[in-house]
Amino acid sequence: MVDNGLALLPSDDRAWRLEAYLARGGYDAARKAVTTMTPEAVVCEIRDAVLRGRGGAGFPAGVKWGFVPRGLAGPKYLCVNADEGEPGTFKDRHVLCCAPHQLLEGMVIAAYGVGIGSAYIYVRGEYALIADRLRAAIGEARSAGYLGPDIFGSDFGLEVTVHPGAGAYICGEETALLESLEGRRGQPRVKPPFPATVGLFRSPTVINNVETLASVPQILARGAEWFRGRGLPQDGGTRLFGVSGAVRHPGVYELPVGTSLRTIVEISAGGPPEGRSIKAVVPGGLSAPVLRPEELDVAMDFDALAKAGSMLGSAGIIVVSDETPILDVLLVTARFYAHESCGKCTPCRIGTSWILKVVERLKRLGGGPDDLDLIVRLAGGISGRTLCPLGDGAALPIRALVSKFRGELEQAVTR
Amino acid sequence: MNGAKPVALTIDGRKVVADEGTNILEAAAMAGVDIPHFCYHPGLQVEGSCRMCLVEIEGLPKLELSCSTPVREGQIVRTASDRVRQARRDVLEFLLAEHPLDCPICDKAGECRLQDYYDLHGGFPGRMSEPRRRRAKKVPIGRGLILDRERCILCTRCVRFLRQVTGTGELGVFERGLGTEIGICEEAPVANGYSGNLVDICPVGAITAEDFRFKTRAWFLDRKPSVCPHCSRGCAVVVESVKGYPLSKGERRVYRITAGEAPAVNGFWICDLGRDGRHEIDEGRQTRILKGGEPAAGLFWPQAVAEIASMIRSLPGPDRDGRITVVLNSRLTCEELALAKALFATGLGLDRISFADPRPGPSDDLLLTAERAPNGRGVLEAGFAPRLPLLHELATSKVALIFGTGLAAHFPEEAVAGALAEIPFKVLFEAHAMPYDRLADLVIPVAVPAEKSGTYVNIDGLRQSFGRAVEPGPGIVPEGQILIALARRLGCDPGGSDGR
Amino acid sequence: MSYAPSPAALARIDRTIAGYPERPAAILPVLHIIQEEAGFVSGEAARWVAARLGLEAVRVREVISFYTMFRTAPAGRHTLRVCRNLSCHLAGADDLLSFISQKLGIGPDETTSDGGITLVTAECLGNCDHAPCLQIDGVDHGPVSRDAAAALIEEIQAHGR
Repeated sequence: MVDNGLALLPSDDRAWRLEAYLARGGYDAARKAVTTMTPEAVVCEIRDAVLRGRGGAGFPAGVKWGFVPRGLAGPKYLCVNADEGEPGTFKDRHVLCCAPHQLLEGMVIAAYGVGIGSAYIYVRGEYALIADRLRAAIGEARSAGYLGPDIFGSDFGLEVTVHPGAGAYICGEETALLESLEGRRGQPRVKPPFPATVGLFRSPTVINNVETLASVPQILARGAEWFRGRGLPQDGGTRLFGVSGAVRHPGVYELPVGTSLRTIVEISAGGPPEGRSIKAVVPGGLSAPVLRPEELDVAMDFDALAKAGSMLGSAGIIVVSDETPILDVLLVTARFYAHESCGKCTPCRIGTSWILKVVERLKRLGGGPDDLDLIVRLAGGISGRTLCPLGDGAALPIRALVSKFRGELEQAVTR
Repeated sequence: MNGAKPVALTIDGRKVVADEGTNILEAAAMAGVDIPHFCYHPGLQVEGSCRMCLVEIEGLPKLELSCSTPVREGQIVRTASDRVRQARRDVLEFLLAEHPLDCPICDKAGECRLQDYYDLHGGFPGRMSEPRRRRAKKVPIGRGLILDRERCILCTRCVRFLRQVTGTGELGVFERGLGTEIGICEEAPVANGYSGNLVDICPVGAITAEDFRFKTRAWFLDRKPSVCPHCSRGCAVVVESVKGYPLSKGERRVYRITAGEAPAVNGFWICDLGRDGRHEIDEGRQTRILKGGEPAAGLFWPQAVAEIASMIRSLPGPDRDGRITVVLNSRLTCEELALAKALFATGLGLDRISFADPRPGPSDDLLLTAERAPNGRGVLEAGFAPRLPLLHELATSKVALIFGTGLAAHFPEEAVAGALAEIPFKVLFEAHAMPYDRLADLVIPVAVPAEKSGTYVNIDGLRQSFGRAVEPGPGIVPEGQILIALARRLGCDPGGSDGR
Repeated sequence: MSYAPSPAALARIDRTIAGYPERPAAILPVLHIIQEEAGFVSGEAARWVAARLGLEAVRVREVISFYTMFRTAPAGRHTLRVCRNLSCHLAGADDLLSFISQKLGIGPDETTSDGGITLVTAECLGNCDHAPCLQIDGVDHGPVSRDAAAALIEEIQAHGR
């Protein structure tokens, strides 16, 4: 990972410990928030910074925090979405491994701002060893008084529990995460009500991604203006772009929001290997519709990518080279969503598997343009009709692959 | 309307007013617009998973679920636009892609939502040519219920019913994605007294009852409403019977009792006791007049009544009330009870009048009452002070008129036989044959509640009138007709209302 | 033969349950603790969990069957997870999987005859910058070449157990 001096992620593996974190100014921002600011002012600062959610949906964090009603009796909860399952995404892993205290500090600030006393970090089951390090960091923080009761001598306290998932991508969806945390199958809920009013254990709840919360301390430390200025007015700050696939230097790159995709792929990640060219790029995790090489000058921010018919999502960039048949990409994609569909709603449960069956048949026996039309039609039956965004996450990329690479696919399947 | 604010919205161009908090699906139904749906049920919490009830709401970019979207002032809803029609076709196509072509052998045919909706909203040719996932088709889940996992569309109504209504939660949802299936833990099958509702609420033929499987076809069934007589709740029921084909010409069989809807009484459900009640409508019936224990060919009930009347008249005047015992029961309708009061208490001045009903049983937190007869309140309303029969009172009678088979619930058979043996003239009016029938001078078959019309007053004092749901067999009449005839023969004013 | 966790596991389980305001919420961490110790979650263990958390047995079965990381039957002493999602596919995961499969003599979801290794395919493990990657008993490895895979397998097998 390239250290470009912005230091969201330290490059030294020992730098995760509390001592090292304190040496880099750790928990100063939390102290400032808790001892000198009102909770309302904290939420305002995050809102002014235009920190958009880094998990995939991009909902502005400060606005989300503002939805939780103040002055209500009863508990409120903070859930950290560390279920990082969007294919092509590995940035939260780096935050949890290299900067767990930064996450914890962001959680302290968020909890103070919203009035929350209890937090659960939902860590995907496959990150079990990483979760152990997180628990160690929590232990350090608690011993030093940065977590637990009476933080910084105030009457604000925060208890944090690490909660393991067990192998279900759908639990990255916020209401499915809540269901899973409550001890049930990870199936999304009907909204409304929204988690801000009826969330974990029926209490008001904020759910934020790991990177989103880890971005919070710097905003309190350096100010909303500063943060916003590092990105775009409508989408502030820098963020962690993951690049993988056919590139020379796969890794996590902290860059300003709005950096062009081409810059990230060709400059930061070094472009495709010797002798290969770019055929397609997935810009925001597998759920983001693919872009063709001529579309790579798009700015990596939510609005620009939405306008380009894709999405920033989790900023997990996957580069496909000319070496890889698109039919293979289609198969891997269809297989993933069929496997991860929770099964609750009709279009996703049946549609994702139907599409997979068609693609598998095409790979095995070949077919024709009618089959590709069928895939597009099935994707259309899923898109916009499902209980949660997994449906669109399956349908839109699949439709984009077929429509943008129609020629290659027709050639591949016609036998 | 209990303080709820009225909301005015437009559905398919028509102005609709509904209470605040009503969902669009219900509001549309009130306006006569049926929005198709599988998983939604007014008696269960919203699930939002079938996606069949999607509608267009002006101003919102995506189609929205009508089952979970509350009405809003000024909302403009379209339930039949091209987008909505296409969405419905797509849901049907998805469901049918993984659904077996079982209609020819499926009991739900003719009353199946998937069939009906394909008819109304589908009509497209099948385009699924990939192999369908095969699943278990005959999974016993308890209480005589069979689950067919190939037919199941995963609406989860059954799972939710057992969690939200009975609180017993025997069914669960296992696996995920296309592999999702409903099931039980083998050691904990469905075992509650409301299991029959699962068949009612399953929109397709995934849950069927062994009791009904392969016995008849839904379109042969004549469905008539009635009131369940097995406890004092008075649940609305539907008696479903077939007369003629495929049975012998003229023979009638009741195939099923299903839940009727009565918001103030049973909501949407009935208990299994009420469902099992179908057996007593056809089984063990007393079908002929017996005289001295033998079928009396050529003797019809009006003549039998005449014999009874003359036997009563033969008793010397002032003694009469001391020597005639009448045993009634709480299955009699209010109209019949009024006739009985007028004839026996007022007309004949009898005081040996008692009531023999089934013994009370356990009640539950839902519908079933401890009292196991339907019209206990009606008995009180008619002015009776009901008491149990006394055997020695019976034994010392000159004439005993026993309505119903309730004696057997309170006294051992030998004791009843012993008491009957002492009575010079005893008449049984019963719907079901009893072992002591041979001891009676006359046995007259009567109708069961499903074969009568009348009124019951339930445990909450609610009066419910019902019409005849099935025809009684030849020569069998309701007690009311017998009481009117007897009163006339005795010169008493029948009083009350016509019990016919 | 009824199931009981070891005293150490039981202590962890009860500590875990205490971290939630409602007992059923502890089901995932509790199932992990049980599976870590026994290698899988037996029917008996599932019933034990149900009783401990105040849940019907069918709810526990719902959870176990939904989440792919739980096993209901004994498996190998070691679990080898090979990712086959896009970034790893682009880096040759298909080939890696066939190689490993051949070397072990088993297919996905199967266990070697000596009970040593269970091979499992996985969706994205969140390690895409080290593709193709695999996970052995929760430890991430990547990028894994054929040689590296062979070495890892030999190391597991050499330790016997």
